[in-house]
Amino acid sequence: MINLSLNYKLVRKFIKNFIREEILSNGFSRAVVGLSGGVDSSLVLYLTVDALGNKNVRAIMMPYKTNSPDSLKDAMLVVDELKVPYEIVNISNVADAYFENIKGIHNLRRGNFLARIRMAVLFDKALEFQSVVVGTSNKSELLLGYSTWYGDMAASLYPIGDLYKTQVWGLAKEVGVPEKIVKKKPSADLWPGQNDEKELGASYKELDEVLNLYVDQRKSFDEIVSLGYKRSIVNIVFQRIYKTQYKRTFPPIAKFSPRTVGIDFLYPHDFKR
Amino acid sequence: MRIKIALAQINPILGDIFKNREKHLEFIERAIKEKAKVIVFPELSLTGYSLLDLSMEVALSPNDSFFNEIFNLSRYIDIAFGFVEKGVDKIIYNSAMYLSQGAIKQIYRKIYLPTHGMFQELRFFGKGKNVFVFDTDFGRVSMLICRDFFHPSLLFLSYAGGADFIFALSNMPLRGLSGDKPYIEETVEKAADTYANFLSAFIVFVNRVGFEDGLGFYGGSFVESPLLVRHGFAGILNEKLTFAEVETGDIYKKRQNFPLLREEDFSLIKQNLERILEEQK
Repeated sequence: MINLSLNYKLVRKFIKNFIREEILSNGFSRAVVGLSGGVDSSLVLYLTVDALGNKNVRAIMMPYKTNSPDSLKDAMLVVDELKVPYEIVNISNVADAYFENIKGIHNLRRGNFLARIRMAVLFDKALEFQSVVVGTSNKSELLLGYSTWYGDMAASLYPIGDLYKTQVWGLAKEVGVPEKIVKKKPSADLWPGQNDEKELGASYKELDEVLNLYVDQRKSFDEIVSLGYKRSIVNIVFQRIYKTQYKRTFPPIAKFSPRTVGIDFLYPHDFKR
Repeated sequence: MRIKIALAQINPILGDIFKNREKHLEFIERAIKEKAKVIVFPELSLTGYSLLDLSMEVALSPNDSFFNEIFNLSRYIDIAFGFVEKGVDKIIYNSAMYLSQGAIKQIYRKIYLPTHGMFQELRFFGKGKNVFVFDTDFGRVSMLICRDFFHPSLLFLSYAGGADFIFALSNMPLRGLSGDKPYIEETVEKAADTYANFLSAFIVFVNRVGFEDGLGFYGGSFVESPLLVRHGFAGILNEKLTFAEVETGDIYKKRQNFPLLREEDFSLIKQNLERILEEQK
């Protein structure tokens, strides 16, 4: 019902500059990207290579035994296309060493644990390669809290953090991410058969429009419903945003000193002495 | 008079006044070589924008010896740049300094300090109180800083003071990427067209580029003539020194063809404003 499409040529240039400057101004020139074979991480890899050159980027694939084999194939397609050095770190043994002693562990616990193992691997690889971890979270998942706190959310910068999922598809087409990857059903692939839209309860198109109306246009719940959006979907969006606000803020500190981290010790991120 | 205005669309390093001073000197020397009459830098060009608690650490008194080399070069070219001013009142201000003939001609303190959404300037800076218009050897100049430019009331004061050139030293972050141009760029260009037309003055808009803590300043610097011709457009997103060659006689032509200034009745405005404010009490 509303058009969220962007001037993707300009967005591409803007994000390319962002990646380059944010990394250089923090004293680095190289980056690692965790590549799943999905559209978000593929797009981020394209943009990062665009910004830093393929020699300064490493793609890290971290499959688990239950992941769809197509994911790794798609990831290979991307690294071949970009001629970017890569490494495959199978996390099955590490994860299973923990899982095997736990009875009745459910999908969400498993999924979160896998995301946090990947985070640990990625930050280790970043140190090995003297580089930063480029995050792959998009605006839809950041707002819906549809990601693992200190897992896939852990990164030094979020180049696509202001793009809704439907805009990620638009930019992915613009930069030349293989069509097969852009078109496949979105899945966090944390357990077999996981499907984002099924799990969230609505399509990204619907979710993104409601998010845009509420977040960017400051429409109220009732105003959005009166525009013809299903009450149940608007409800999902509002519930998710407020339930997951903790993931988007610095944890509270019991303040009693004159200057407290995060409250009134306020130095910019990009300042280096 | 035909003059060249240098627009220094730079990308300052956040908090590093020494490296930024080097960049200022380099750009000024290039502008001197090109025989520009004046060079204009963006808001807070010496310090960067997203300073937060750094603000007090990078603040300088206008007569600090730190500025000596810049003062020296102003014997060859007029220079307008942005810095954090340590006032004699021990308050810090988001200020612009205009140098000419090796001396300070004017210091302007930003009046409207945006404090909403991504902006938090009033947390760190004192508020300026005065708009100035001053003489240079190419005409009367008035300086404003960034958000000030979106308050027509301030440009009206420059107009009342007889400004031929209104400088807007800016740090505008990009937003709005759905159209051909960033939304903010369109907003600025429309405003500049309107101001240049109705105030019959040159608008000199200089915006920085580069990223700080995620904010991406878009650049897009230019000079708009009262005849509505755009000069010296610097493009967006890249650091650049451009030159706008303008004919100051355009102001004279415009004020004959469209004599708004001649018609203007400033005392009537003053009386009405006083009455309106009185009625609001």
